[in-house]
Amino acid sequence: MSGKRPRKAETILSARGIVNRFGKQEVHDKISLDVVRGEIFGIAGGSGSGKSVLLKTLTGLHQPNAGKVLLDGKTIETIGPAERASLIGVLFQQGALFSSLSVAQNVMLPIREYTDLSTPDQEKIAAMKLELAGMSAETGIKFPSELSGGMIKRAALARSLALDPEILFLDEPTSDLDPLTASGIDAMIGKLNQSLGVTVVVVTHDLTTLFTLCDRVGVLVDRKITIDTLDQLLRSDHPWIHEFLHGPRAQGAMTARKQIHGNR
Amino acid sequence: MQRASSQPPPTFAVTESGDRLALKGALTIRTLAEVEHALQQWWKQRESRALDLGELESLDTPGALLLCTLHDHDVELTRVRPEHKALLDLVGGLDLKPLPKSPHIPRWRELIIQLGRGADEAWRDARDIVTFVGGVASAIGHALIHPGELRLPSISRQVTETGINALPIVGLLAVMISIVIAYQGVAQLRPYGGEDLTIDLVAVSVLREMGVLITAIMVAGRSGSAFTAEIGVMKSREEIDALKVMGLDPMVMLVVPRVIGIVITLPLLTFYADIMGLLGGGVIGKALLGVSPTQYLEHVRQAVDGSDFFVGLFKAPIFAFVIGVIGCMHGMRVRGSAESVGRETTRAVVKAIFLVIVLDALFSILFEKLGL
Repeated sequence: MSGKRPRKAETILSARGIVNRFGKQEVHDKISLDVVRGEIFGIAGGSGSGKSVLLKTLTGLHQPNAGKVLLDGKTIETIGPAERASLIGVLFQQGALFSSLSVAQNVMLPIREYTDLSTPDQEKIAAMKLELAGMSAETGIKFPSELSGGMIKRAALARSLALDPEILFLDEPTSDLDPLTASGIDAMIGKLNQSLGVTVVVVTHDLTTLFTLCDRVGVLVDRKITIDTLDQLLRSDHPWIHEFLHGPRAQGAMTARKQIHGNR
Repeated sequence: MQRASSQPPPTFAVTESGDRLALKGALTIRTLAEVEHALQQWWKQRESRALDLGELESLDTPGALLLCTLHDHDVELTRVRPEHKALLDLVGGLDLKPLPKSPHIPRWRELIIQLGRGADEAWRDARDIVTFVGGVASAIGHALIHPGELRLPSISRQVTETGINALPIVGLLAVMISIVIAYQGVAQLRPYGGEDLTIDLVAVSVLREMGVLITAIMVAGRSGSAFTAEIGVMKSREEIDALKVMGLDPMVMLVVPRVIGIVITLPLLTFYADIMGLLGGGVIGKALLGVSPTQYLEHVRQAVDGSDFFVGLFKAPIFAFVIGVIGCMHGMRVRGSAESVGRETTRAVVKAIFLVIVLDALFSILFEKLGL
């Protein structure tokens, strides 16, 4: 958070020599990466390149076959549940909202479990988080089954922000959304990153998100990761990366990048 | 309430500097309640309506929300650090409204609403069952007239799954049930010197009732639930719609093979359970009464006649039809989410077992009247 600590180029999350394999199939071969506090780090790659497995490894949900993940200088397994909850927030691809709870109760669940705040205070905070994620407080009493795709993403984002995490993991935040809603989500992530100073790790194959939002991008190809700023990656001569970033779908994303970089 | 043990708890201090209050340390979600309390205490005693934030080290969104609320109540916030200013602007710029309250319904109205809902559901349920049974019967009738349209591989797979794979558990249960009956029989009949009648008791109750009932309950729990879950998941993943778009009737593709499969298997399983039950009776007869296997067989032959056996076996296909239809019907009733699959599966199993037992009771009365 910008408020909690002065911002400087310190590493908040680092992975060292991550190896993941399922049976004989190796997905990641000694992957290392460092995420700097306050940046938006994109993870891209083709379908089946192990983006989601990498995200699960970074959040401590999946134990890698080798290598370690350091969060705030500590290996992720040694971090206690409460501390982990206040360090990381995760937006799952399908939202993963608890279907038996209303949206507001979803947001209040971590607050209720980890603080001693009174219910009215919890409700005030939940209403604020919903507003932060671009939802009106009135939607708070709705249940996840009553929400549209974009609303589910926003509600899940509000829940992942419940304890003001230092680092936010987003798994395909714009998938299954219409272009307008997707742009709205992108803009909101950028706004939250700027104003809250929260570090964002976003897994996506939405080129517009990669082109307009991310400070640095890691591309998963051939079980390895290539990390650089997008400008450098655009000059990469690796055939897959070149094809990925210069293909027919990249043109629109490029236009969007030029538009946004004008006022950024 | 869980607390981070490895993290030192954040601290704060409220001090007075000149004519204003100063807040130092951390104003985060974990100190929020205490800070609010402390500030209120101070303001009770003093006039000053200003708060110095120059020494405030960390601030999160709930903290910023508190400061914004204070600001709205005419508290002047001074020496705000630039990094906190952005957060205050963000939170202050939100259009904050309270969460809406869910409407309160008095308990008596709740009761009446639930009663009405229950009655409506029961009515729909009954209508659905009748419609579905009609649909299944017509589809099966059609399939029997045109045997070429029967999906034999599908039926044979159902027979394997509902029948052959159930053999171990059904056999074990049948043996166990006959042991239970035998022990009760011996204990109850011994005072009258009628221990030998235990064999009659085991043989007749296993053949007439227990064999078929235990098998039907087991199959309802094992296969009826599987029908609902399989069809339900297909329904929630739009696979049923995909079938319909291809012009294939889900009734013919999914329901008929399952119902025919289970109607074939349950009588066979019942026969097997009867044998295993009698076998269990023989073992327990040897252990409790010292009756040799040949004596036991002789005794059983005198105790039961064909009608006992056929009364039991006659019920099996009827129970099977009920279990299969209920399972498939609830599968088709799944709407949308995974939660719905779980709910319908529970309902299917409960309803199938309930109907099996009700039917069994009706059959008991019927056979009594018929003198069978």
